[in-house]
Amino acid sequence: MTSPSTSPSTAPNVTDPSLYLDGMPHGRFAEMRETPGLVWHPYGDGGFWAVTRHDDVRSVSKNAAVFSSAVGHTNLWDLEADALEARRSLIDTDAPDHTRLRRLVARSFTPRNVRRWEDTVRRIAAELIDEFVAAGGGDWVELVAAPLPIRVILTILGVPMTDAGYLVELSNYLVEGTGDRQSIPPDAFGNTTELRLLPFNSPASHALFEYGERLGDQRRRDPRDDLVTALVQANEDGDRLSDQEYRNLFHLLVFAGNETTRTAITHGAIALADHPDQWRRVLDDRRLVAPATEEILRWSTPVMHMRRTTTEPTELAGTPIDAGQKVVMWYGSANRDDRVFDRPFDFDVGREENPHVAFGGGGPHLCLGAYLARLEIAVLLEEMARRSLLLERRTEPVRAPSNFVHGVLSVELAVATGRAAIAPPGGDSR
Amino acid sequence: MSEAVRLVVDGDRCIGAGQCELAEPELFRVDDDTAVAEVLGSGMLALDRAEVVVDRCPSGAISIEEPAAD
Repeated sequence: MTSPSTSPSTAPNVTDPSLYLDGMPHGRFAEMRETPGLVWHPYGDGGFWAVTRHDDVRSVSKNAAVFSSAVGHTNLWDLEADALEARRSLIDTDAPDHTRLRRLVARSFTPRNVRRWEDTVRRIAAELIDEFVAAGGGDWVELVAAPLPIRVILTILGVPMTDAGYLVELSNYLVEGTGDRQSIPPDAFGNTTELRLLPFNSPASHALFEYGERLGDQRRRDPRDDLVTALVQANEDGDRLSDQEYRNLFHLLVFAGNETTRTAITHGAIALADHPDQWRRVLDDRRLVAPATEEILRWSTPVMHMRRTTTEPTELAGTPIDAGQKVVMWYGSANRDDRVFDRPFDFDVGREENPHVAFGGGGPHLCLGAYLARLEIAVLLEEMARRSLLLERRTEPVRAPSNFVHGVLSVELAVATGRAAIAPPGGDSR
Repeated sequence: MSEAVRLVVDGDRCIGAGQCELAEPELFRVDDDTAVAEVLGSGMLALDRAEVVVDRCPSGAISIEEPAAD
């Protein structure tokens, strides 16, 4: 039996959502990375092994047979069996269930098939940037970072654009559900389901389920060339999603397809505003769009952790782990690990080696939407560069009180366009 | 130049993530209907590049075929 005692009681509690109002607790993560073995972190009545080094995050991610996603939950708290079953999706399954679910949706998200959406993404990005410039700037989250990914994923799913605002609203309530306070009552949106049975414990999940079910019914009657139609129809093996599988997958695609990329685009814009020298490098050499995209992903780390549960006794970083223990991978910490990243706290758009774990540390749960997210970020950077857009930060970002999504609720950016607007090197006068 | 080895895909484990096709587009293609990766042609690749593909495969579906004992 391991005796978990390595976390001093005075250390910041990295599961405290309010801690994240001041940004990611990088100081505490650095301490944990330097602590030999794994750090036992108290949580609720028990605790978890905190995995904070890059190499260890990769090891856990890639060994899904020992570090299970299907046992307990992939969030910090355990779910009762009926709740786990009701919420079951791609996230909370192991092979072979996961393999089956993933394959039913994977074909829409392969690198080759995602490239077909480039023109759509570019049109939406150009429109939003032009509106932002015309408005003279404003809340980047509301005007650019939120609408871009939601419009893209809704276009792919086949959801009418007139409903985009409603789905963004639902998604915002879901993020609240990962914190410790919700601004809507349990019966909001006509919800009658116990909250513990709903993803993110949020009544907004009920509304999103209902929306997805209505759309699925429509596409069964009137098939179109969109992802919802593909999801409600059987594949060529005759396999199809059950109603519950469809409902949970629709929920996952809407949430993960917008909240995460929104977060990357927001932290990316803040970083480019705060590091005008780095943005100037991209303007001078558009080949840096690809490495800048990867650096924005590393820098932002939109999803801050995922949990696994051991199926058998094992060992990691020299620490023995019993069967049935929680193991939590802290991606934001791994993405600042100086064993892997040279000067990890520098925002460097020209980083040549950037094996960040913003999409997870490899393994079967590697982010389904990774190529779509990369496409959205890269196209946005290209459209900003084409206009020689210069962002300036006007306010501190208002951060989400969440230990799960590295969310920013709003940040005011001002804007200038054209070469003349861009200060010469060393001329940053702040 | 490292020795060439043959790569094989375990279709039961593949999740169609497309990492292999991205790394070696001449050698792999994820089928649009089944979302399972297929090996194009002989599947032969230099050992150093083959090891990269094996490492990148998220589901551990790609392996280097053991040469037949003789």
